[in-house]
Amino acid sequence: MMPTPPTSTMRQRLRQGRDRLATALITAGGIGVIAAVMGIAVFLVVEVVPLFWPAEPPRIRLEALWLPQDVAGLDAPAYRWQPTLADDGGPLFSLPPLVWGTLEAAAWSLVIAVPLALGAAAHSALFMSRRLRARLRPTLELMEALPGVVIGFVAGLALAPWLERHLALALALLLLVPPGLLLAGGLWRQLPARLQRRLPLGWAALWLMPWLVLTWGLAQWLGPLLESQWFAGDLRAWLEVTLGLDYASRNAVIVGMAMGFAVVPSIYALAEDALSGVPRSLAEGAQALGATRWQTLWRVMLPAASPGVLSAVMIGAGRAVGETMIVLMASGNTALMTANPLDGLRSMAASIAIELPEAAPGGTHYRLLLLAALLLFAFTFLVNTLAEVVRTRLRRRYRRLGGPS
Amino acid sequence: MTRAYRASTLWAALLIVVGLLAGPAQAEHRTGTLDTVGSDTMAGLMLRWGERLARRHPGMRVQLQASGSASAPPALTAGTTLLGPMSRPMTEAERQAFVARYGYPPREVVVARDALVVVVHRHNPLSSLSRRQLDAIFSETDRCGAAGGIRRWAALGLAVPPGRIVLHGRNAVSGTHGLFRREALCGGRFRPSVNEHPGSAAVVAAVAADPQAIGYAGLNHLTPSVRPVPLRDAKGVRRAPEPAAVRRGDYPLARDLRLYVNLPPGESLPAAEQAFVDLVLSAEGQAVVEELGFVSLPEAVVSRQRRRLGLAPP
Repeated sequence: MMPTPPTSTMRQRLRQGRDRLATALITAGGIGVIAAVMGIAVFLVVEVVPLFWPAEPPRIRLEALWLPQDVAGLDAPAYRWQPTLADDGGPLFSLPPLVWGTLEAAAWSLVIAVPLALGAAAHSALFMSRRLRARLRPTLELMEALPGVVIGFVAGLALAPWLERHLALALALLLLVPPGLLLAGGLWRQLPARLQRRLPLGWAALWLMPWLVLTWGLAQWLGPLLESQWFAGDLRAWLEVTLGLDYASRNAVIVGMAMGFAVVPSIYALAEDALSGVPRSLAEGAQALGATRWQTLWRVMLPAASPGVLSAVMIGAGRAVGETMIVLMASGNTALMTANPLDGLRSMAASIAIELPEAAPGGTHYRLLLLAALLLFAFTFLVNTLAEVVRTRLRRRYRRLGGPS
Repeated sequence: MTRAYRASTLWAALLIVVGLLAGPAQAEHRTGTLDTVGSDTMAGLMLRWGERLARRHPGMRVQLQASGSASAPPALTAGTTLLGPMSRPMTEAERQAFVARYGYPPREVVVARDALVVVVHRHNPLSSLSRRQLDAIFSETDRCGAAGGIRRWAALGLAVPPGRIVLHGRNAVSGTHGLFRREALCGGRFRPSVNEHPGSAAVVAAVAADPQAIGYAGLNHLTPSVRPVPLRDAKGVRRAPEPAAVRRGDYPLARDLRLYVNLPPGESLPAAEQAFVDLVLSAEGQAVVEELGFVSLPEAVVSRQRRRLGLAPP
C-alpha cells in the first residue's frame, strides 16, 4: 500500500465508521423484523391458550371444535359456525366449515392459476421473443400490485352476476378454448415455411388473440345451442334438478378465478426465474442431441427446475390461503361444507375480518378467531419456509450444473 | 365491503366535523362539540342533524363515531358521550352496566322509525309472505311454527322463478341481522346458506341481479330494481312497507331508531345536548328523517317525548 497523507487516513476512518454504522443499522433492522414475527406468534399463542386451559370453567372441548355437534332443530349432528347466536343454546363454534372454506378457495385458485402461470412461465422462458417478454413481466407485476379489494370487488359485482347470466357461454368456452388452442398449434405446423416466419412462435401470444376472439364468437353461438339441446333450455335448473348442485352466484369457482388472477403473477415470476435460470448448456445440449422443443422442456428443463416450480406453487398456495379481501367480497361468506364448487364458502381470514371488530376481547369468540389467525400464521409460515428451503437447494444444484454461480 | 373496510371508510368519513360553515346567527348562541358514539345505520341521520344544528347554532359541531349500535352503551357508561344513537333497544345487560355506574337508567328517546323489508327480484310475482313462511324460508329451526323448511319457489305456489330460493342477508354482526332473526325467525337460526353481505345496499344489489333471490334489508336502501314483498301480520292482513303502515306500527318488521341519553332524573340536559334533541324532535328534524328514507314519528309521539324531556312545545 502507498503511504497515505494524514487527511486521507482520517477520511478512511470516517468511512469505516460509516460502514460500521450501516452494518449495525441493517442488522438491527433484520433482527427487528424477526422479533416482530416472533412477537406476533407469541401474542397469538398467549391469546389462544386460555381457550384450552382457562382460569375458570367453562372450558372449550377440542372435540366440540372439530366434530359435528348436536344442534337444536336439526336431526343429525352438524357443523355450524354461528358465533353471535345469543339464545337457543348459545353460540355455535365449529371450525371445520371455515377451514374447509379456506382450503377450498385456495385449491380452486391453484387449479386455475397453476396451469396458466406455469404455462406462461415455460413459454416466456423458452420460446417467447425477448422484446415481448420484456413487456410481459412489468404487466404481470402490475397485476400483482392490484389491491385485493379491487379484484374482489370486480369479481363479486361484475364477474359473478355475468357468469350467472351466461353459464352456458362459460361452459362452451371451457369446452372450446383448450382444443381450440391445440388446433391452432396443429394448423401452424401445417403452414408453409414463409408464413411460419411471418407468425413466429415467439410472438404467439399476440397472433393467438384474434384466434381467441374467434373461439369466443363460436362459443357465443354454441352456448345457447348446447343449453337448448342438452340442458332443457336452462343450465342452472338442469344443474339443480339433474345433478342436485345448487348454484350460488358467489361460489367457490368465482373465488378461485379471482384469487387465481391474484396468485398468477407470483407463481409466474418465481417459476420463470427457476426456468430461465436453468443453465443454457442443458437445453442446447438436449437440442443438439435431436430433442424437440417439447422434449427439451418436458424432459430436461422442467425436471431441472422442478424444485423452483414447486416452491413457486407453494408460495402461491400460501398467498391464496391468507388472502382476505378477495374471498370476502367474491364469496357469499356462507359457512357451508359442501364439495359442490358452485356453492358458497367462508374462509378463516374473511371470518376474522368480519367478526373480530365485534367480538368481545377475551371472550370465546375472540379467542377462537385468534386461533384461526394462529392456524393461518402457522400454515403460511410453514409453506413459505419450505418453499425457501427448496429454492436454496435449487440454486446449489444450478451451481453444480455449471450455471451462473 | 367488509366490516373492516367499512369501518375504515366510516372512520374517515364519520369523524364528521360539521358546522364550521356557519349560517346567520339565531336567537341564542351556543358553541361546543357534541361527541356521539353509536349506530352506523343512523350515521346519515346524525350527519344531517349535525348540519342543521350547525345552521341553527353557529359554532356547534357534532362528531359521530359510527362503529355500530353495540358501541353506544359502553361509551355512555364510560361517560365519553351523553348521546348514544342505537338502531336496537339496549339489552338488559347493557342497561344494568349503566345503572351500576350511575344509579339511574339511561333515558330513551325514540327519534325515527325504520323497517326491514323483504325484497325479491322485480319480476318475481310473489304477492305476500306470512311470518311463518318467512321463517321457513330463512331459518333451519322453524321456530315460528312452520311444518317444514321452504327451499324452492314452487313450495310457495309460484311457477315463475324456477328452482331453489337463493337467500341473501346481512352479516352476523349487524343489528339488521339480529333484528330479523329475532322478529322474523322467532329467535331461531339462519340457514348456513344465507349469503352474508356487509351492507343492506349490497343485499339489494345481489337480489336485483338474480330472479331466484330473496333478501332482507333496511327500508332506506330500497331501490326500483327490487320489489318489496308485503308481509301478512298476525291477523293475515297484507301490509306493504309503506310509510303510513310503518309509522302506525302495523308493518310487522318495523323498528324504532333511538337516542340514549345520560340524563339524571329531575335534571335537564346540558345546553348543547338539549339543542340537539330539540332539533331532532322538531318538524325540521323529522323532515330530515323522511329525506333519508326513514319514517318520521307521529305528531303525538314527538310532543309526548318533548314534554318528558322538558322541552318547550314546538
